[in-house]
Amino acid sequence: MTSSDARIAAPARKGGAALPRAGGPAGGGAAPGGAPDPREDRRRARRSRWYRRDVRWSPYAFIAPFFVFFLAFGLFPLLYTGWASLHRVELTAPTDMEWVGLKNFARLMGDDFFWNALKNTLTIGLLSTVPQLLIALGVAHLLNYKLRGSMFFRVAVLTPYATSVAAAALVFVLLFGRDYGMINWALGLVGIDPVDWQNGTLSSQIAVSTIVIWRWTGYNALIYLAAMQAIPADLYESAALDGASRWQQFVHVTIPSLRPTILFTVVVSTIGATQLFGEPLLFNGNAGATGGGDHQFQTLGLYLYEQGWVNLHLGRASAIAWTMFLILLIIGAVNWLVGRRLRKNA
Amino acid sequence: MRTRIRSPRRVAVLATVAALGAGLLAGCADDGDSSGPSGGTDAGGKTKITVGVFGAFGLKEAGLYDEYMKLHKNIVIEQTSIERSENYRPQLLTHLASGSGLADIQAIEVNYVAEITETQGDKLVDLGKAEGVKKDNFLPWKWAQGTTKAGKTVGLGTDVGPTGICYRKDYFEQAGLPTDREAVGKLWAGDWQKYLEVGKQFKSKNVKGATFVDAASGVMNAMLGSSAERFYDKDGKLVYKTNPAVRDAWDTAAAFSEAGLTSKVQQFTPPWDQAFANGRFATVTCPPWMLGYIQDKAGDAGKDKWDVAPAPKPGNWGGSFLSVPEAGKNKEEATKLAVWLTAPEQQAKLFEKRGSFPSAQAVYSLPQVSGAKHPYFANAPIGQIFTDAAKGVPVQPVGPGDLVISQNISDVGMLQVDQKGVSSEDGWKAATKAIDNALDK
Amino acid sequence: MATTSHSAALAETGTTGAQGPVGKSGGGKKKGAGRQLHAGRFTYAVLIVFTIGSLFPLVWTAIAASRNNTRLAQTPPPFWFGGNLFKNLEIAWTDANMGSALLNTTIVAGSIALGTVLFSTLAGFAFAKLRFRFKNLLLLLVIGTMMVPPQLSVVPLYMLVAELEWTDQLQAVILPTLVSAFGVFFMRQYLIGALPSELVEAARVDGASSLRVVWHVVFPAARPAMAVLGMLTFVMAWNDFFWPIIALTQNGSPTVQVALTGLGRGYIPDQSVIMAGALLGTLPLLIAFVLFGKHIVGGIMQGAVKG
Repeated sequence: MTSSDARIAAPARKGGAALPRAGGPAGGGAAPGGAPDPREDRRRARRSRWYRRDVRWSPYAFIAPFFVFFLAFGLFPLLYTGWASLHRVELTAPTDMEWVGLKNFARLMGDDFFWNALKNTLTIGLLSTVPQLLIALGVAHLLNYKLRGSMFFRVAVLTPYATSVAAAALVFVLLFGRDYGMINWALGLVGIDPVDWQNGTLSSQIAVSTIVIWRWTGYNALIYLAAMQAIPADLYESAALDGASRWQQFVHVTIPSLRPTILFTVVVSTIGATQLFGEPLLFNGNAGATGGGDHQFQTLGLYLYEQGWVNLHLGRASAIAWTMFLILLIIGAVNWLVGRRLRKNA
Repeated sequence: MRTRIRSPRRVAVLATVAALGAGLLAGCADDGDSSGPSGGTDAGGKTKITVGVFGAFGLKEAGLYDEYMKLHKNIVIEQTSIERSENYRPQLLTHLASGSGLADIQAIEVNYVAEITETQGDKLVDLGKAEGVKKDNFLPWKWAQGTTKAGKTVGLGTDVGPTGICYRKDYFEQAGLPTDREAVGKLWAGDWQKYLEVGKQFKSKNVKGATFVDAASGVMNAMLGSSAERFYDKDGKLVYKTNPAVRDAWDTAAAFSEAGLTSKVQQFTPPWDQAFANGRFATVTCPPWMLGYIQDKAGDAGKDKWDVAPAPKPGNWGGSFLSVPEAGKNKEEATKLAVWLTAPEQQAKLFEKRGSFPSAQAVYSLPQVSGAKHPYFANAPIGQIFTDAAKGVPVQPVGPGDLVISQNISDVGMLQVDQKGVSSEDGWKAATKAIDNALDK
Repeated sequence: MATTSHSAALAETGTTGAQGPVGKSGGGKKKGAGRQLHAGRFTYAVLIVFTIGSLFPLVWTAIAASRNNTRLAQTPPPFWFGGNLFKNLEIAWTDANMGSALLNTTIVAGSIALGTVLFSTLAGFAFAKLRFRFKNLLLLLVIGTMMVPPQLSVVPLYMLVAELEWTDQLQAVILPTLVSAFGVFFMRQYLIGALPSELVEAARVDGASSLRVVWHVVFPAARPAMAVLGMLTFVMAWNDFFWPIIALTQNGSPTVQVALTGLGRGYIPDQSVIMAGALLGTLPLLIAFVLFGKHIVGGIMQGAVKG
């Protein structure tokens, strides 16, 4: 249910491997030889019939549990939301719907709060994803050296991942306090004036991004590290023979080898960033879902929440949800196209 | 991860599957024990009544449940509390709308009581007709707030929030202002503008480390609570944009900010708490429930420094109601309990133990209310101060958009003026824009 | 059964297959883990700084939980532990009824993790290695599901749960999250590479039923990824609060995150007690990370290898 749903590990190898002949010749498995006993024949026939059915229907049996649950708890809400987005419907009476057609979508076009949320989602997405992945790449590179206590470092960088958004936000709100926060205090030591982390547009977005970066960087670093360790050493050796410096090796050997991994983390982070919700909600102290006095860190997820759960307009919130869904589909399509180009070039 | 040992693996898998099964069973068993939120009857043949509240409502803490259970041996009371009202309200609305997941008694905050009476009135029991409920016991405006347009009283008043002004005597002394609460009250009696003038005077004396008020929105909320009409008029029409009282509250609060009299913190956020601890505020508009807050936040360092004076005009800020959902399983017993909890005697106890100010005007003359003094606040006669204020609170119409409007005026509009230095005009525009958007279905 | 020895052999190869992705891409430890240059001082310095950054907010949560409101408001903020830690932990523990909340959360997160792993592996295997009608269409549906913003399904979901009269019961939070589109996708991607198709075929030719194939071939091959998915799902389910807070109340059977919403004293939240509560809610996972960190890290790295 959290926005982080899709942010788990990266998947393994894409594409490749030909499909097996799962529906192979039915009789193939029957033991050869043996007396032509009619009873045995019948049994064999029965078994082979059973076997054919098994091969034919088992795939459906395997995907059935997922789809049953998905239909009940995934697709139904999705369709309901789609249906609700075409209505005027309030949380106070969710079954009381009044058809309005595409009005809820049309009005998003002229809704400054929507565009503001979209813009914030984009900037916070960039502010959190880009540094997160770059730092992760760097840390992974360092972790790839022969280290004393390498396991300690690996576990340590992963611990933020175990912290809930709620707990993390609680701490960061205090750390980012304008008057008594530790970060401003530290900045003051080096002569920098206190920053109003809550109220500034950029500063608040940086603060929210920091929570995201803190929780996810170590995790991504481990994924990159895993991929780095799979890079054949001879690639580096030949690069070194060609006189490439360590930096050049990193740029010309490591990065290209990690391309699929990087692409995957980008997609997963993008999905996470688009659905970003908990961090900006809780960074606002106890002050609700506005995302700051000027809505300066209100993301799409948070705007959706405000419309649905504060203003109680389910129909309008549903329209925002579906718009987000469409945006993600577009991003997914673009990613797929880019991925295909990359694979072709590789 | 890469061992080939098979059997322990299988054992492990089987064990986890078994654990899953057991877990599910245990989960169901758990649910059986608690027999759901709508109460029921437990093994001992006792009737269980659940009470859903937000924050620490005080009923439990004041020992009222225990007392009731002693009086009624067949009743068991359990309380569910959600700390934050923002989480409580959507949950309550969803549960009411679907008729499930409800406690037998649900608390309602004044900010959305109109929303509830207007949209969920038919889902709540008419407590006005319940046995032992006397309309005259309650403040008339409180009673009206819990009553639907059709005349069904679905919310019985618990506490109210008549406002006073809490002030720091030491800072007042440093600023050359009187420190005696009566003299302080006279400084601004009858007019919020005078409060502003005192603030400017305070500011001119450069008292170190303190601002006159905490936040502009605090002043605004207190002023809004003291006007005859706020966001809706008597006919239920939305008038917040044209109501001169709203505009007056807005302008005055903005003037506080523009004159540099605020600490530029947002109320009810951690920085606000911290500022209390550091003694940053010389005055705070405070309803009775704020006293406990100040005492807790300012701690020992603030003892005997704080005092309470009457506000320029009596107003109300905050307060709650109890309601009984129709979907509850023990409506009758729940109704009895709700009536008992909101009866004058219990409200008086609640005030004595928790400082929640009674909405039952019947108890204002009782010595434990009228004679109450608060030791932390230099033994201020809070009973007297808040009783006077409560009696002067206007019967203010409430409306379904109250919560959204006041939230956006405070946390969007006035926050921009106070913390970001936006001009009063632009802040107002930002607030109305956000409100228009929020109210548009 | 005549096939016993054979399936054991299968399983063996299956396990080797599971190592495949690590091995195949780099040719085993010798080459793959290659280029292990020794770290210099600079490397250590940077890593130590990064580690401190990772750990500090957690440590400071504990510091804040060991103080009181007044101290938390002072500048400079506290850098070391005060004397209130156990007092605050105790208040948080009793106020939030942490004992039963921890038990509930363990049941919920455990069930969700097991369900997700089991169903995702089955479906992932089907999508990766089997042929059936509408496969690509259904896969597309799965991938599309990943992109649905979770906030809004809450309302219809609640109506459904209310209809089923599950409100306030643990299955209300277990069943809706029991499967995950991401899990299916993840397992599919892993199995495409990690499970040699020949193995599945060989087992088939041998007359093994689908269930046997799954048990003896697929599960062994998928084990690393299953472990990762299970761990990740567990952590996520543990920390989830948006849906549980709607579906559960503190009296029924709250999870930790729901129980924590009841912390604080009404209008008067005590920051250090709230911090203590946050610490209590995170602690079990942290302890697990410290105890099993090596396995968890190893799991993530093994399950997440890609090429």
